[in-house]
Amino acid sequence: MTAELDEDALVPLRVTVNGRAQALACGGGETLLTLLRERLGLTGAKRGCNQGLCGACTVLLDGQPVRACLTVAATCADRRVETAEGLLRGARLSPVQQALVDGGAVQCGFCTPGMTMALTALLRAEPRPDAARVREALSGHLCRCTGYVKIVEAALAAAEAQAQKGADGAAAGDADARAEGAAP
Amino acid sequence: MDHAMRFAEPDSIEEVLSLLAADPEARCLAGGATLVAMMNAGLTAPSLLVSLRKLPGLASIDPQADGAVRVGAMARHATVAAHDGFAGAQAILAAAARRIGHPAIRTMGTIGGSISHADPSADYPTAITAADAVVEIAGPEGARAVPADEFFVDWLETALAPGEIVTGVVVPPDATDAAVHYEKFTRADGDFATVAAAACVALAEDGAVAALRVAAGGVAPTPIRRREAEAALIGRPLTEDGLAALGAALADLSDPIDDMRGSADYRRRLLPRIVGRAVRRAAAAFTARSGARSGTGPQAGGVA
Repeated sequence: MTAELDEDALVPLRVTVNGRAQALACGGGETLLTLLRERLGLTGAKRGCNQGLCGACTVLLDGQPVRACLTVAATCADRRVETAEGLLRGARLSPVQQALVDGGAVQCGFCTPGMTMALTALLRAEPRPDAARVREALSGHLCRCTGYVKIVEAALAAAEAQAQKGADGAAAGDADARAEGAAP
Repeated sequence: MDHAMRFAEPDSIEEVLSLLAADPEARCLAGGATLVAMMNAGLTAPSLLVSLRKLPGLASIDPQADGAVRVGAMARHATVAAHDGFAGAQAILAAAARRIGHPAIRTMGTIGGSISHADPSADYPTAITAADAVVEIAGPEGARAVPADEFFVDWLETALAPGEIVTGVVVPPDATDAAVHYEKFTRADGDFATVAAAACVALAEDGAVAALRVAAGGVAPTPIRRREAEAALIGRPLTEDGLAALGAALADLSDPIDDMRGSADYRRRLLPRIVGRAVRRAAAAFTARSGARSGTGPQAGGVA
C-alpha cells in the first residue's frame, strides 16, 4: 500500500512511538495510521473503515485514545504515540492483552488492537470500572465477530487482576516492612 | 493523489489568515474528525492543511467578566463535556458534547470544527442555537461576531466568508439559571442524530414556565427554533398540550431529508416527541435541582 505514501511534500516529524523518540518525515496530509503501518511497520493498528467509525485503528496520543486514521501525522510532532505493540514487556503481554487472550475475547482479532488501546486508557484512568463504563469506553469499537460479551468480561477481569496484583504488592510490601521491623 | 498536500502549523492567527488568503484551496485542520474522514473518502484534497493546534488561547474555556463563557474553537468535545464552569443554559453545550460520537472522537473533535462544518445532524449546532451563543470569527477584514442562528445559513453552509475562521463560541450568561437537557435520537449509539432537541428550562416557584429555549436538529438544513412558540408557554404550567403546540410549531418549520437514518416523514413525526421529552427532562432536572438546593428534596410539579 505504498501508494498511500506521499513523498513529494515531506514534513519533518519528531515523535515518540512506544517510548522510542524517532526523527521521521511524513507527507503533509498523511495520517498517523499510514505513518505507523507503512513507514514504521507497526501493523497492530488496523485500517478498517478509514472513516473513524470502526475503532480498529485506535492508538493513544499523549495517553488519550484517538483514531489514527483521522489524525494527521504531522500534528503529532513532539507527542507520544502508543500502539498495541508498545504494550508488550519483552514477550510478556500486558494485563489487558493477557485478559483478552485468557477470556477467549479474541476471535478474528481485527478489532483487538483498537479495543486493547481503548481498555488500556480506561484502566489507567479508572482502575476499577464497572461494566457500564467498560461498554462506554468500547463504544465506537466494532467487533464483526460480535464477541462483545467476552471482551467486556475480559476488561473486568483485567481490572480485577490489576487490583489483585496491587493488593498482593501492598501485602508483600507490608510483609517486607514487618520482616524489617522484626529484624534485630 | 494528484498533488502533494502541504502542511503548516503556524503559531499566530495572522499567519493562519495569510496562508488561507494566499491559497483558496487551503483548509484549516482542527481536530480532523471530519476533514480527514472526507480526505480519506476522496471527497476533498486540500492543497494545504493549516493546523490550528499551536494557536495560543484557542483550546481553552474561559469565563468572561459578564458571566459569559468563551469556548475556544480548538476546545475538544471531551474538554467541553467535562467543563464544570457553565451556569444555567450554558450547560447545554456540555450536555451536547457528551453525546458526540465515541470516546476516541471526543478526544479529537473540536467545537470550531463541528460548527464550521455545519452538519444539521451534529450536536453542537443545535446546542449553541438553543444557548443563543455568538460565534467569534477572525478574517482578513478583521474580527466579527455572529449570533448562532445567523451563523448557520444552509446545509453545510455557514456565514463564514472565504479566508475566515471560527476562533471561539461565546455563550451568554443565563439570568434565569435554567436547567438543560439534550435529547438525541439515534439508531446506533454515537451516530449523528436522526432528530435531536436541546432544551433550557426554568420554572417559577408555582411550577409555571419562567424561561424556555428549545432548538431542534437533524430536521432542516440548519438548527431551528420557534421563539414565538417558546414565548407562548411562558407563565403557564407545562402541559402536554403546550408541548404539543411547541412540537407542532417546530415540525411546521422543519424541512427534513430522507437518508439512511430515517425518512423525512419519520423525522417530522419524531420531532414533537423528542422536543417534548427534552423539555420535560430539562424541567424535571430544574425541579430536582431546586429541591436539592432548598434541602426539601425533589418536589412535585413542573410537569402537569
